Amino acid sequence: MKGKKLKSGDIENALNRFLEEQQHLVLGFEKGESGVSHRVFKDSLDHYSLLNPVFGANAALYLRRLFSKGSQVMLMLRPCEIRAYVELHKLTQIEREDIIAVSIDCPGTISLKEKKGDIPTDAGQLMDYFKNPDSMRWACSVCREKRGVLGDGGVRIDKAGNYWVIPYTEKGETLLSLVEGEPEDVPSDMLIGESKKPDKFQVDMTTFDKDFEKCIMCMNCRDMCPVCYCIDCVFHGDEYLPKGDALLNKIFRSGSTKMPQGKELFHLIRMYHVSQTCVGCGACEEACPQGIPLTKYFKGISERLQGMFSYMSGRSFDEPIPYITFLEDELKEAED
Amino acid sequence: MAEETKNKNPEIVGFACSFCTFKASEMAGSLRMKYPEGVKLIQVPCSSRVDPAFVIKAIFEGADGAFVAGCHPGDCHFIKGNYFTRRKIAALKEMFDAFSMKEKLRLFWVSAAEARRFVEKVTGMYNEIKERKNEREKA
Repeated sequence: MKGKKLKSGDIENALNRFLEEQQHLVLGFEKGESGVSHRVFKDSLDHYSLLNPVFGANAALYLRRLFSKGSQVMLMLRPCEIRAYVELHKLTQIEREDIIAVSIDCPGTISLKEKKGDIPTDAGQLMDYFKNPDSMRWACSVCREKRGVLGDGGVRIDKAGNYWVIPYTEKGETLLSLVEGEPEDVPSDMLIGESKKPDKFQVDMTTFDKDFEKCIMCMNCRDMCPVCYCIDCVFHGDEYLPKGDALLNKIFRSGSTKMPQGKELFHLIRMYHVSQTCVGCGACEEACPQGIPLTKYFKGISERLQGMFSYMSGRSFDEPIPYITFLEDELKEAED
Repeated sequence: MAEETKNKNPEIVGFACSFCTFKASEMAGSLRMKYPEGVKLIQVPCSSRVDPAFVIKAIFEGADGAFVAGCHPGDCHFIKGNYFTRRKIAALKEMFDAFSMKEKLRLFWVSAAEARRFVEKVTGMYNEIKERKNEREKA
């Protein structure tokens, strides 16, 4: 595989060259005074940071219903965000034509909620910082894909700490052509290797009830989920989670009810609906005001359900989502 | 009294394809076959109409079990609806398995001519759920 080695300042120059064109944008990270955050850059880069060690929200959330006509958007994001973008493209929420998605090797992140003091933004320092696994978010410590091998191109970090730009599709070549220097062979050994396969998720309703006892049904988890995209969610209206008169009628029909009602309903239905598209980024847990371990459930269930169809969300543009395709001869054991 | 019998006997919600399973249940009725009255059928135009959300709602709003039934694979009135059902419900079963309540959901295929098979299937499911329920009450 051919790629270009980046010297310091190379990527900024390349992106600045990209931004010189009319209607070109870069969605990436900005290193501000108070920390690193997402930013859409126009005209030129300012305080650009390639890595973002803090996770607040998944940037694919901002890309929903993006059908940019005539503009070019370069995404310089974490692998989980690119994976969510790929899934949203499959769900026809994003048009791919005008987007160049570049995934960047991610050493891991810490939660925005627990951020204290300064966190390094350099890959080597970050790897040292995350030597202690407790300092990392739980979702990141069990991440399936931390390598920048997804989307149109990737920025990888080799063992010596050098950054490499590697194209995977024709669009990825656009970024490569903006970088100075000649393409070289990319070393096969990278700083961030393949993640290990997760254990099979198994739980029971008692544990579920205990974990979700604190849930106040604010639905922040749904609103911040990058792949939970329905405009007309089933939980709008009175069908699933009745309010007011509808609630009273239901209680007259079925008996006394603990409030807020419908916790299992809400979380299990949502868990199923995002099961094939969940990328396990943990944005739901970040958004939860009550600190419920949502990632454990959503990631566990989605990995189990995706495993049934040997599917991995966001791995490639060509794999269809399992629920919208089928094989004629399969799943014999599912019938009773 | 009514309350007592209601608690003792399980209630099962069944989603039945109107072209196959629902026809089979009607045939079972006209042949005077008996199946437990706790089995409540919901007619759906095709088994793939069943969003797993319906099943989850049925189970968490009081049903002891739920089943989804449709035409045999390949015999769907809409050509390929039940292939999608199979994928969706198989995944839902896997999810229920992860929550240790696999026994609450079943998927089976019954064609319009198989009234006997329909009665056997629902009675078998009903008895199993009833047994488990009684055991739990004793414990």
